Amino acid sequence: MANALELELKHLIIDTLELEDVTPDDIDRDEPLFVEGLGLDSIDALELGLALQKTYGIKLEADSEESRRHFNNLKSLAALVEARRVT
Amino acid sequence: MNDSPGAPQHWARIQESGSLAGMRIMVWIRRHLGRLPFRIVLGPVIVYYYLGQALPRRASRRYLERIWPLHAGHAPRQPWWLGLKHFMAFGQSLMDKVDAWSGMSMGVKLTPEHRACLDQAIRSGRGGLMLVSHIGNLEICSAISDSRDDFHVTQLMHTRNSRKFNQLLDRSTLRRGPEIIEVTEITPATALALAERINAGGFVVIAADRVPINESGRVRHIDFLGASAPFPEGPFWLAALLRCPIYTLSCLREGTSHRVEFQPFDDTSHLRRTDREAWREDAMHRYVAWLKDQCRRYPLQWFNFFPFWQTDDRYDG
Repeated sequence: MANALELELKHLIIDTLELEDVTPDDIDRDEPLFVEGLGLDSIDALELGLALQKTYGIKLEADSEESRRHFNNLKSLAALVEARRVT
Repeated sequence: MNDSPGAPQHWARIQESGSLAGMRIMVWIRRHLGRLPFRIVLGPVIVYYYLGQALPRRASRRYLERIWPLHAGHAPRQPWWLGLKHFMAFGQSLMDKVDAWSGMSMGVKLTPEHRACLDQAIRSGRGGLMLVSHIGNLEICSAISDSRDDFHVTQLMHTRNSRKFNQLLDRSTLRRGPEIIEVTEITPATALALAERINAGGFVVIAADRVPINESGRVRHIDFLGASAPFPEGPFWLAALLRCPIYTLSCLREGTSHRVEFQPFDDTSHLRRTDREAWREDAMHRYVAWLKDQCRRYPLQWFNFFPFWQTDDRYDG
């Protein structure tokens, strides 16, 4: 179950951010998504957040530390979606 | 932006002057004794402030030197007096804020063109992002949003400044004004909260003329009134990502009433990802051109009393 969701999220990340050279296999579930790892920046984080909201109806707290933690890697992102999804 | 000597001081580090107690007394006078006693007291207060606060006084002078030739066709002839008038205009705007938040009826004028634009924006149900600046008096617009059930406004504000004054208004007046989202930085959570408002047909107000303290990395230096000044990229990235209609909004004092200007700026609904960077660049230049036009027409209603340009130095003047 978790893996299916993670794969779904990988596709969402690749589609949303138009990462043409990246395949789902390139995204490691434990590797940081931003700055290191995939090398995404804060604008990408905003965009990804909006895509998650559109797809899963997620809400986030205003706390920036909290959202940094959720967006840390694929694993934490999947945990967030699992816990907060409404659709 | 850093704190090294000689660097322009960041607006967020400058304490908003005036103690809360003093301001509360002013609000009390305005609300209980009326306009005339308030004006009588306001005069000496503003003069005192003008004499005592070197930093905003110099900032005002730098600004007036740049804008006055565009407005009047010549340099300020009596710079000291003009600066005082600039400060007086600010005092007046504080009074107007208090009035607006106290629910007093404000003379608000929209030209038919601007009114049609606002009506259409509301009727479309698509909501939007309204780019604003620290020129004029946006609280008057809040009063409009209070008076219309179908005009829901959320204001994105940086936490550091203005808090004092807003606290004061909350305590001294009955109205709460528009919904305010306070942030120190724009995070995915902020973007989500704003997208939610807009998807529900609401309007989000964001000022794009001040650089937030934490986002010094995303700053674009653009020529404004003849010299390079820092502008934040954040509002424009948000505008691009939120994929919605974008407007400019201002509210300017004109004699005894206020002129509200609400104009379409752009629509990012179909903006392609690959075009975003170019759009942001172009949009920032268009915003700065809009700002310049506002300043040219209403030069004394510019309320950024801090060193705005890169070349400004807090020790100069």
